[in-house]
Amino acid sequence: MDANMYIPLPEELEWLEANSHLHQDLEDYEDQEPPEPYPEEEEEQLPEPPSPLSQPQVNGQKRPLSDGPDAPDSGKRSKADLPETGAEEDWLRYSPPQDTDGDLESMVVDEERIVSRYASEIDGDCIPVTGPGGDRVYLKISATGSDGRLKKLDLEGRTKGLILEPISVLMQRVEQDAFTKALQASSELQNDAILPETQVVNEQLWVDKYAPNSFTELLSDEQTNREVLLWLKQWDSCVFGSEIRSTTEEVLSALRRHSSIAQHQKPSGMSFLRKNKGQRFSDGNSRYSNNLDQENGNLKGLQELWNKKSRGTGPPEQKILLLCGPPGLGKTTLAHVAAKHCGYRVVEINASDDRSSSTIEAKILDVVQMNSVMADSKPNCLVIDEIDGALGDGKGAVEVILKMVSAERKADNRKGNVAKVDESGQISSKKGHKTASLSRPVICICNDLYAPALRPLRQVAKVHIFVQPTVSRVVSRLKYICNMEGLKTNSTALTALAEYTECDIRSCLNTLQFLNMKNQTLNVFEISSQVVGQKDMSRSIFDIWKEIFQKRKMKRAKRSDNCCSGMSNGFDFLHPLISNRGDYDLILDGIHENILQLHYHDPIMQKTVKCLNTIGISDLVHQYVMRTQQMSLNVYQPLTAISLHRLIAQVQKPIIEWPKSFMRYRTTFMEKMDILRSWHNKIAPYISRHLSTKSFVEDSVSPLLHILSPPTLRPVALHLLSERERNDLAQLINAMVSYSITYKNTKSDPLPGTQLHEAASDGLSLSFDPPIADFVTFKGFSLGHYALGVAVKQLLMHEIEKKKILQGSMSKTMHSTDGKRRENWAMTMEEKSRAQSGNVSHAAGCAENNIEAAKSKASASMVSLASGSSGSAEASVKLKSSRDMKKPPRGSTFFDRFKKLSSKGSQTTNLIQEPVTLERDSRPLLFKFNEGFTNAVKRPVQIREFLL
Amino acid sequence: MLWVDKYRPKTLDNLIVHNDVAQNLKKLVTEQDCPHLLFYGPPGSGKKTLIMAILRQMFGPSADKVKVENKTWKIDAGTRTIDLELTTLSSTHHMELNPGDAGFQDRYIVQEIIKEMAKNRPIDTKGKKGFRVLVLNEVDRLSREAQHSLRRTMEKYSASCRLILCCNSSSKVTEAVRSRCLNIRINAPTEEQITKVLEFIAKKEGLQLPSGFATRIAEKSNRSLRRAILSFETCRVQQYPFTNNQAMPPMDWEEYVSEIASDIMKEQSPKRLFQVRGKLYELLINCIPPEIILKRLLLELLKKLDAELKHEVCHWAAYYEHRMRLGQKAIFHIEAFVAKFMSIYKAFLIATFG
Repeated sequence: MDANMYIPLPEELEWLEANSHLHQDLEDYEDQEPPEPYPEEEEEQLPEPPSPLSQPQVNGQKRPLSDGPDAPDSGKRSKADLPETGAEEDWLRYSPPQDTDGDLESMVVDEERIVSRYASEIDGDCIPVTGPGGDRVYLKISATGSDGRLKKLDLEGRTKGLILEPISVLMQRVEQDAFTKALQASSELQNDAILPETQVVNEQLWVDKYAPNSFTELLSDEQTNREVLLWLKQWDSCVFGSEIRSTTEEVLSALRRHSSIAQHQKPSGMSFLRKNKGQRFSDGNSRYSNNLDQENGNLKGLQELWNKKSRGTGPPEQKILLLCGPPGLGKTTLAHVAAKHCGYRVVEINASDDRSSSTIEAKILDVVQMNSVMADSKPNCLVIDEIDGALGDGKGAVEVILKMVSAERKADNRKGNVAKVDESGQISSKKGHKTASLSRPVICICNDLYAPALRPLRQVAKVHIFVQPTVSRVVSRLKYICNMEGLKTNSTALTALAEYTECDIRSCLNTLQFLNMKNQTLNVFEISSQVVGQKDMSRSIFDIWKEIFQKRKMKRAKRSDNCCSGMSNGFDFLHPLISNRGDYDLILDGIHENILQLHYHDPIMQKTVKCLNTIGISDLVHQYVMRTQQMSLNVYQPLTAISLHRLIAQVQKPIIEWPKSFMRYRTTFMEKMDILRSWHNKIAPYISRHLSTKSFVEDSVSPLLHILSPPTLRPVALHLLSERERNDLAQLINAMVSYSITYKNTKSDPLPGTQLHEAASDGLSLSFDPPIADFVTFKGFSLGHYALGVAVKQLLMHEIEKKKILQGSMSKTMHSTDGKRRENWAMTMEEKSRAQSGNVSHAAGCAENNIEAAKSKASASMVSLASGSSGSAEASVKLKSSRDMKKPPRGSTFFDRFKKLSSKGSQTTNLIQEPVTLERDSRPLLFKFNEGFTNAVKRPVQIREFLL
Repeated sequence: MLWVDKYRPKTLDNLIVHNDVAQNLKKLVTEQDCPHLLFYGPPGSGKKTLIMAILRQMFGPSADKVKVENKTWKIDAGTRTIDLELTTLSSTHHMELNPGDAGFQDRYIVQEIIKEMAKNRPIDTKGKKGFRVLVLNEVDRLSREAQHSLRRTMEKYSASCRLILCCNSSSKVTEAVRSRCLNIRINAPTEEQITKVLEFIAKKEGLQLPSGFATRIAEKSNRSLRRAILSFETCRVQQYPFTNNQAMPPMDWEEYVSEIASDIMKEQSPKRLFQVRGKLYELLINCIPPEIILKRLLLELLKKLDAELKHEVCHWAAYYEHRMRLGQKAIFHIEAFVAKFMSIYKAFLIATFG
């Protein structure tokens, strides 16, 4: 019965080769024609009889029928055997090339018998065959003749009977086929769900009815179509494990393959459904053996070559295809058709599905990494429709995909051979790869490429933007459909319709069908009336800006004969455009951003003034609406934009930029306010309460900066400073502490304008810790601020730190004047001690200092007691305790300081010495209390122990 | 500590600048019947100093012991709860807050927080019922709604709570609130007063002040005492033995504004306007309030302008400032003013020079 398969014409073979998988379908379908009329159960299996007009049934039916049993089988086998033998077997199943000639003749005979361009002219079952030129003919399915040929073939087969495999193995395989067939039959119903709608019902939408089924029928731009197809084809090497074939040898082999697959699949599949199993099995076996042995010699070498080739290539660089464009141009259709064309099973996830990221992840993983077990072995191709769905729920999907892509990137680096892995894609997924990776093509479809949710996807995906198909193409298609449906039209009306709907084919067809149902004819003048549903489509914001800035061509205005046409047309066009978009705030921002870049004639700037006034009005309205929540007032917002259009629209194309500067201003402003606020909170309340942010930036920053970096401060050692200079320094430190300003290391170069080059020259630079200097940096404006040298800054930093610690240890009520006095005194003491005691004995000097300083401190606290402050008792307590434990912490801080400082250059050696000694001596009772270290406090220690 | 803080008067007694106001206030406070107060006046005139001094007069030195709190308030506003973060400065007797910081939610602060604060009536040591003082800063930033809810609070809790409001311009405080307060205008100190203060500081610091130097600083200070003292200290830091013709470091942003002004005067075209926009953004980014920018810009422009245009330019500046207040995006309106000025000026140039 196998021989009843019609081998197509030579040119058809070429075409079949091109769509290497489609051809199987065709063959499979032909296989189905039985020698006897269809039995009843056959009807169940094919619930929808083939329509004469559409081809998808070919695609649809092959799934349940033929392909299923084959691939799981071969997959298993290739797993079991060495990969090479597995592949060999694949090839071995191809039918001998000699077969073609014989079959060709018989086919021609068949064709002569009943061939027609129209299905209606054939009575009985018929099958569509499409030639390479897109011509479609319908063949009658005949029951006669096939039996005879079958016998003939069988005889042929038996004469050359050399089987590679023992008969038992073959039997086993057949049994396995039968088993999978059974599985498939049980899940038949589920498969039906994905069958495309093929039944021709009167009520069916024309859009579905005339949806393109093959690649050649697509209306969309040829270039895009080809690129999508090419991209899909690039997956072949990793999904199917074969190269993209184009040579004549390959043509033949492809043909062989499809025929052989059809041959050996057919019997098992059909036999399961029918009763006469035994006979089929034997038939199949014999034929199979026949094919195998013929093929064996010819193809072995060739096939090895191909295998090698295919190993070298992986999946395409960009694993995701992103199709975008306005609705109705056929994005979804293209994705489906192209995927089917390349032999994929299309799995679609669209906006109607649950698209939260958890569910979608499982779903995508299912689709991308696994093959369906039951139905067919066709690899999946995932189509995510409307990925830019409302409210960012496409985000889940985008995230999952991105994760998988990035995982793949990493995995690629590790694995040398991608093709190998993908060939056994099922294996890897079953093993449970630790990172989910993409091994199947994913096509995403969106309307708005610039939706925020898609931003990350745009970078990794291959993006194709759909352009409108040419009007003539659409019109010819529409005409064809109208002819088919018997609707009378003329091309001018159709052209007008296509133009009106902006080549939205779906909308055109719906309109036509609507008219057809009403038994009306399409009228040119009706188009703009309510007959045609106007799309409520919002355009991208860039388009809107463009429309506002650019004058429309006068053609449109001329067409309508009104005298004030230009004006009213502009209004009619722009108003719905802007109000559909809605986002007036952003629209106005964009206008404001770009308006001054336009080249409009404006000698004394009157237009500019008008424009800015209008923008101002829009801002007022916006603010009022926001404040009072009277959203209905937003109606007036588009009008401001339109009046701007009237003022400044130019013919030449504007360069439009996204309104960044306002956003930038917003964010930096907020940042700076935050800095100010947090700094404000750090300042002691008795100062901060008098200092608002406004008064700070208005009055205080510049003088403060001047005060904090006095040019009179010489970068020399402390002891070289005069009395007055030392006083100044103390005051400066005091001011910095009270305003809680300090210096801090910054790696980056100091901002131009504030700091002098002096600071920038060596690697690290010190800048103010709350970056108050930033508040006076203006772009393109150099300030006359004096910047201190690094050495001075370091000195200041240490002093501030010291001062802070000191303040922390002292009671808060201690007056700063007291502290200053004490410090001055300590400074003089320090000089004295340096003079008398060398490096070795500075501990002793230190002790001496300690005692004296303690006295002074006590007196200071006495003073504060007298002044009625409450904290003096506390201070004296602290004094005691600090005396007890001064040594250990001081030692550590001493060395720390030294270490830190010793790393500095040689020019600061003086300075190193200076702060250290100064520190040691000015603070007799300095200690640092580390929370959590209570040992030191608790241990009773004699004061003598420290003095040693 | 800077001189601004160091020589800030702590009590109502030894004031140099607003001594008459201070004496009146002292009398008012000592009589134990203190109405709500509304202080208004230009920045740097001493409103805050006066308020602090009043508090000290009322409660003694304990009013100076303040702590800063950063609290989050949960406010139940009908269907939803709003979280508001607000920094307050409080002592046992008073509380200072800046309700304008809450932005458009300031209404809730007034309605809930202030009300709650006002309700809790402290009892002083003698068992007498005391009152609390709430100091609200920058009342002019409060929205109209917030001010409306404020006026009821002021009446209802007047027994236990006194409000001291502080703002720059009373025109932005609603009539209703104003009429419930004793309005005290704090003038900007005159230049003579500023000179006096500077001389006082110099004496305290033991500095040699050449005659006329203090006057010069006072002239440059825009009659803001804070600015005067700060620039005085700057001068001191930069070069001590003062010389009479010592340069006084200008405010950076004012310099920048004058740069913008000269840009505008040089060329009037949309292109130039675009450059000016960039510079205006720079100013705004640095947190300088747009009103001040506009005002300063106008002053700078007026300096260079022919007398006959001055009136018109001032008119438009006022016009655009008004619109700026009503609107949201200050840059639009400042820019519109600049455009308007350019247009006027260009027309003028063409008319004069052909």
